[in-house]
Amino acid sequence: METINKISWEIRNDIGIITLDNPPENYLFQPDFVPLDTLKKWTSYDYLKGIMICGAGKHFSGGGKLENLFRMIGNKEVINEKMDKGKAVLEHIENLDIPVIAAIQGICFGGGLEIALASHIRICAENALFAFPEVNQGVIPGLGGTVRSYMKAGFPKAMKLIMSGDMINAEDAQEMHLVDFIVNKHKVFDYSFSFLQKLTRDRPLTVINAVMKALKNARSLSMEEAMKEETRIFCELAVAEARRRNGSGK
Amino acid sequence: MKIPAYSTIRVILEEGIGLLELNSPPSNAMNMEFFREFGYAMSFISLHEEFRALIICGHGRHYSSGADVPVLLKEINEHAETDQTGKLLNIPGFLSKNYESFLLLESLSIPVISAIRGVCLGSALELALFIHFRLCGEEAVFGLPEASFNLAPGLGGIYKLCSLSGQAFALERVLKGSTFNSEDALKHGIVDKVVPKKVLIPAAYDFARQVMQDFRVEKRRLYVKKYLS
Repeated sequence: METINKISWEIRNDIGIITLDNPPENYLFQPDFVPLDTLKKWTSYDYLKGIMICGAGKHFSGGGKLENLFRMIGNKEVINEKMDKGKAVLEHIENLDIPVIAAIQGICFGGGLEIALASHIRICAENALFAFPEVNQGVIPGLGGTVRSYMKAGFPKAMKLIMSGDMINAEDAQEMHLVDFIVNKHKVFDYSFSFLQKLTRDRPLTVINAVMKALKNARSLSMEEAMKEETRIFCELAVAEARRRNGSGK
Repeated sequence: MKIPAYSTIRVILEEGIGLLELNSPPSNAMNMEFFREFGYAMSFISLHEEFRALIICGHGRHYSSGADVPVLLKEINEHAETDQTGKLLNIPGFLSKNYESFLLLESLSIPVISAIRGVCLGSALELALFIHFRLCGEEAVFGLPEASFNLAPGLGGIYKLCSLSGQAFALERVLKGSTFNSEDALKHGIVDKVVPKKVLIPAAYDFARQVMQDFRVEKRRLYVKKYLS
């Protein structure tokens, strides 16, 4: 197990586990809650088939301590640079070509929610609570949370969540498509871990990577470009599979 | 206007409503000939104003079991060029044509309705996902099983499933390759209405008659709400 800035990393079987490890609320020290280089190193093991992000103890994360951020505010460049680094970390997570599951219990606020929204699948406990409390301090989510919540929940619901700063429960979050599954509060970790294992255990990494790339294209390209790429990815797998079935060669 | 005869599909036209049946019993598998003929039929329908609505269904008990995988692999392997490292240099022309025919289908200015009974798997589900409206029978079975043959959907299935039902559902179903039933399909926005299978085709005709009067694709949701809920 490795730890940096109160974020821990371990590998169990072929699943990597990132733990926000600053209990009880698992507050994040800075926008790039884990340095991008460290995250890249952790996620580059070529036998990994999936990644799980969870919080230590009872909560996922209360988000960033805004006081820390405000201390930097005298220097606009520093704060911009920090936010850019934070966004790059979340983009790296979202664009990984293995599935990332956020296993959420307790509070999932602000930056914590932004991390969850950058994950591919969100599984939460029945007692989980979600919010973007940034407005209470005169700011808004700044790591892509406005965009990602809008993409999932649509304009009216995302606007209400962000503008009100109000907390919502697991059911409301599911209704808004911010979470995908709700499970018993004692089972979030185990359920998420076994979900990820079941999803990937019978699949070679080539197929997992192919599906994740196609999903990334679905998020980021026009329909026609995404379809063309989907056919190309399919074709690459088909050639490999045809040759495997034939023994080798054409 | 004389509708051409095809060997893997059947097209008829009555009172402005076309019916295109996938017709390769027993499971209406989509072979190379099917994709060729389906492309021709789409061009034909797009060029003839006599078609004011189109229903697509499978002949017999099933919609379709999807592409004939061994044949497809063989054709791709023969037509795909790779460099020494095995990297793909081109997409075989017939594959591009396949998805172009799906795009043409989606861009038709007449309402197109899928009536799905029995199995609707792989490329057959991909086809259905490009159709403006999807009605299905209570016992229909859906899935994109490609990953279980070390493949992935390649005709827009991942794109369409992701935009209709969200990333988590698409990721899970595509990677597991597991099937899902009519109820799940309805819940996740993949079909617009589930009806008893005996009344599926009449229901599709009823809906076609209602929606063909003033069809505009951008009003899709409105028609679903008005006529299918």
